[in-house]
Amino acid sequence: MLRIGIDVGGTHTDAVLLDGDEVVASTKSLTSRDVSSGILEALETILSGDSGVEKKVEAVMLGTTQFTNAVIERRELAEVAAIRIGLPSGRGIPPKTGWPGDIARCLGGNVYMLRGGYLYDGWLLAQLDDREIDTVIGDLKAKRVEAVAISSAFSPMNPEPERLLAERIRAVLPEIHITESHSIGRLGILERENAAMLNASLLGFAGRVVDSFVAAIRERGLNCRFFISQNDGTLMDAEFARRYPALTFASGPTNSLRGASKLTGLNDAIVVDIGGTTSDFGILQDGFPRESNIVIDVGGVRTNFRMPDILSIGLGGGSLVAADGASVGPRSVGHELVSKGLVFGGETLTATDIVVAAGHAEIGDPEKVRNLKPEVVAAAQGEISSMFNAGIEKMKPSSDPLPVVLVGGGAVLVTEKLAAASSMLLPEHSGVANAIGAAIAQIGGEAERMISYDKITRQDAISQVTGEATNVALTAGAEAASIRVADIEETSISYMPGNTVRVRVKVVGDIAGIGQTSGLEAKV
Amino acid sequence: MKLAVESLPDLSSGAVFLATGGGGDPYVAYLATQKVLAEHGPAELIAVDDLDDDAFVAAVGGVGAPTVSLELLHSIDDPGIVLEAFESHVGRKLDAIVSFEIGGGNSLIPLIAAAGRGIPVVDGDGMGRALPEAQMMTYPIAGIPSTPAVALDYAGNMATFTTDTTATYERHIRNLAQAMGGMITTVEHPMSGKQLKSSIVPGTISFSIEIGRILREHRGNAHRILGPLRKAFADSLYGELCHIYTGKVVDYSSAIIGGYDIGRAVIESFDGSGPALTIEVKNEFLLAKIEDRVVASVPDLITVLDYETSTPINAERLRYGQRVSVVGVGCPDYYRSARALEVVAPRCFGFDCDFVPLERLTEHHQSLI
Repeated sequence: MLRIGIDVGGTHTDAVLLDGDEVVASTKSLTSRDVSSGILEALETILSGDSGVEKKVEAVMLGTTQFTNAVIERRELAEVAAIRIGLPSGRGIPPKTGWPGDIARCLGGNVYMLRGGYLYDGWLLAQLDDREIDTVIGDLKAKRVEAVAISSAFSPMNPEPERLLAERIRAVLPEIHITESHSIGRLGILERENAAMLNASLLGFAGRVVDSFVAAIRERGLNCRFFISQNDGTLMDAEFARRYPALTFASGPTNSLRGASKLTGLNDAIVVDIGGTTSDFGILQDGFPRESNIVIDVGGVRTNFRMPDILSIGLGGGSLVAADGASVGPRSVGHELVSKGLVFGGETLTATDIVVAAGHAEIGDPEKVRNLKPEVVAAAQGEISSMFNAGIEKMKPSSDPLPVVLVGGGAVLVTEKLAAASSMLLPEHSGVANAIGAAIAQIGGEAERMISYDKITRQDAISQVTGEATNVALTAGAEAASIRVADIEETSISYMPGNTVRVRVKVVGDIAGIGQTSGLEAKV
Repeated sequence: MKLAVESLPDLSSGAVFLATGGGGDPYVAYLATQKVLAEHGPAELIAVDDLDDDAFVAAVGGVGAPTVSLELLHSIDDPGIVLEAFESHVGRKLDAIVSFEIGGGNSLIPLIAAAGRGIPVVDGDGMGRALPEAQMMTYPIAGIPSTPAVALDYAGNMATFTTDTTATYERHIRNLAQAMGGMITTVEHPMSGKQLKSSIVPGTISFSIEIGRILREHRGNAHRILGPLRKAFADSLYGELCHIYTGKVVDYSSAIIGGYDIGRAVIESFDGSGPALTIEVKNEFLLAKIEDRVVASVPDLITVLDYETSTPINAERLRYGQRVSVVGVGCPDYYRSARALEVVAPRCFGFDCDFVPLERLTEHHQSLI
């Protein structure tokens, strides 16, 4: 069974062809401006060995940081009108309160607060007002607003006001992009509304990017199923990704962690993804990324997405090295390493030059670093090791040493065994771990409800929510027989009558027609 | 002392530490406070000793379910509206405002009320932590009546209270909060400056800012933060800070019994060796046990920190699989008096044990290790 994993990053587009557990081919190429030609080039490389092989490929899975980068770099973001239904609660705290100024400006100043919504116990918070709705729609039309985010108090329990308003807007403005907050977040209206706004802002860009993904894949003759990976290591189909680009925000680190697990067969390890500018430290627990316990900021905006706990430090192959070797990073020449680094004929001393000078790697022209003083090289090497050790110590769950898996193009920076690691693994294909992580992703489904345990039993409540989560996974393309419950969460609502509990269930399953495979043999 | 916008993040996170699992997420109140201070300038924070004996003071804060306030947002003008209603109800202007519990949004709501009105907030509160019921506050323990009091809901509906005992008052506001959407803002415990001096847990707002600063500056592995935290508590009116346990949450269950959130968290060591720690929850973290041995109990503080970042975690945010460190802090002496223990000892929460101070329990705990 053949499948393809693709990782479209800011700089590189990687691709792998997997036959069951075996990596048949892999490649790393530059991400093109139009995205699509870079993917085509990568596909061309991995499929070149065997004519007609594309007919045997059963699925293509793609991970991308395009949408995260758009938010972080404040580009490709459309203006969004934010409409919150919840007055008279929340007066004086309109949508976008607390946002950094630059991204708030990107999304524009169209913010509306309407009466309506529900209370925790299902009572009306306030009645929706038709005239208020008409006024807002008139304003959206006059201002030619292209994207709208709608939030409503307690919408994860009762999304009716959000749905009703979206219908009313679509009836007048059929082309407008709308994200309803209940479809993207859980309880916590501010975080859910923020997530909906970021998502709505990306909808136009997502349409174009997903189109170019699909175009490249179809153009190469791949008519199989196509999925895009999301934050928690599960997959969504292209249509879903078009509507929920924000769900890809953490897919980069997730895929790199999952790929590292696959490449080494390790379920518990520290994974260090070393790039040109930064190194990202993450933790594998039972084969999946450890999630952060705290609220997640995306580009400075508070959201409640579930994301891996990642520590990023400014150390990578392009990191600048001080003349005496005593400090390394956080500034970096980034992707200009290939022209600015000493070994490439440039004039900037980088971390890569240090590794080459020490004789640990053959990159560029080693002659160019022959004259570096040995004490400078030794000092910089010591600093690099101590930065990696400090990162590992910070992330380690306990004082017990854990194996450390190195992935990413900058893995050559590690030239000695790090004291904080029990063992070090640099698996074959570690440069394309992200693409492998994408190729082995699963289908997930999540559902959440507030339920009175006085009205139905706890057991019935959990099975009802599990059923909803299962439907979500089935709709997204999971194979029914493989679906298992990954997480059940119950939260009592303090002081509330009727024994009210918030029940959330997450299920995961294999993509229909593709069995999960065991770990690839560790090649170290 | 002026309390400016810049202090709010530290105040919020320090107050979550002192809230011992209760109090809820302070983010919405933080945004509201930020706006009010930006508009009216810094809040005036005064030491209780600087208050005139005959000054007129009342406690202001939110009453209800923390989870509700995640959706039913506070309004920025609520504290001002309920304050005005209270003053017209009692026919007297307030000279200063005080918090009823340091913890979550309730450490910030008094600042919103006071800054808007241009009157000072007294540095301190009526608990030195968070506790679930009104009669557990130091003000009623000192004999100060809870009423006259005024409550306001999200839609502007109001109620006034005149009750004979604080227990009755607690019962009434709890029922009203349920009927009014789950969260109300109250002005209560009107008192003189002299009465407040005899009952306040002093300095807890500035102390929260100090704890928040330590959490921010030493962000990282919980073990590394214990030194600086221990030092801060050693110089405070709290008792000693002790590390109780580090491990992984392997079970968290909770249910509402008698109107309270009754729960239990089980935390195992990372490698699963040795006995687990059990924490009993009744809105707040109240009792920590290893096997049948109590290692910390209310009114001493039990706080759960995220192991990787040392961020304090509210009870409602505890989740299976989280890696945490549990610390205990001796409560202020006030709560160890016989009069206070009548309403805050473990038996008041239905636990079958007497209060034993944390330092004696941990001495024993350490000697066993």
